[in-house]
Amino acid sequence: MVEEVRKCLQDLLMKVNGLYCILITDRDGVPLLKVGSEKAPEHAMRPNFISTFGLAIDQGSKLGLGKTSTLICSYSQFQVIQMNKLPLIVTFITSDSCNTGHVLALEKQLNPIISELTLAVAEL
Amino acid sequence: MGCCYSLFCKDENSSQSGEPNERTHLLVDPVSNNTNIQRVNSEDILSRNLNNLPKKTDEQSALNRILQETATNVIDVAALDSHNLQQHEYVERMKMYNTKVQQVFATNKNKISKKLNSCILQDIPVPDKILSTEPISSDDINLITSSVAAAASAIQDIKVDHKEDLVVPFGLNC
Repeated sequence: MVEEVRKCLQDLLMKVNGLYCILITDRDGVPLLKVGSEKAPEHAMRPNFISTFGLAIDQGSKLGLGKTSTLICSYSQFQVIQMNKLPLIVTFITSDSCNTGHVLALEKQLNPIISELTLAVAEL
Repeated sequence: MGCCYSLFCKDENSSQSGEPNERTHLLVDPVSNNTNIQRVNSEDILSRNLNNLPKKTDEQSALNRILQETATNVIDVAALDSHNLQQHEYVERMKMYNTKVQQVFATNKNKISKKLNSCILQDIPVPDKILSTEPISSDDINLITSSVAAAASAIQDIKVDHKEDLVVPFGLNC
């Protein structure tokens, strides 16, 4: 069954031009599911990079603008898009020219998978 | 200018009780307001604590609470130090997640596979059943064909009625 889900994520990866990697991790950056092409940069997939998102949104929530739902970081070579699905974090790593809206639209398709994965983390 | 202002103030005095004069602050002082509120709070806490004998510790705890509340409300970028996961901890947790994820997906197999297949075309387990159902009645077919034919002829009858020139010269006296 895990293979099926992974294949589904792989399909999403193929559908979006420039999407290199989809990572579903816990708040410390430990991966539950991970699919990616060889173009995905190793550094951006490290747990200590991904876990900074959790810290950043904790601080960001104090701005009085409500809960942070998505964080988009645009670098000269890559984009890192992270979604707040706490206790999970969904991270997309894309090329700099990838259509960000297209990636954001994947959220809807990922939601059923994420809600199941949340159970896996919650049970621990 | 000052004279004008005082005259203006006199008018205001008659209508308003909170009379602005040369000594009133133009801006509402947010700092003093805040301290007032805080003072009231701490006095409240203190007066509440008067009944309890170990006054000092209560005061201390009240202060601690204020400190903690302030600390949670402050955006402290310097404190963004994450605790780094140890390598063995990371590997252990990853293994644990692996088994957990497999379990969760195995138990909810049907539910997930339904959601994953959002394609319009789907496999039908027993096709004979669907194929052997009764076809729609000839009345319905007649209704559909006649209404579609009417709609098609209506579309073909759409015409553009030419009334005035499409290109109009502006401001040219021809």
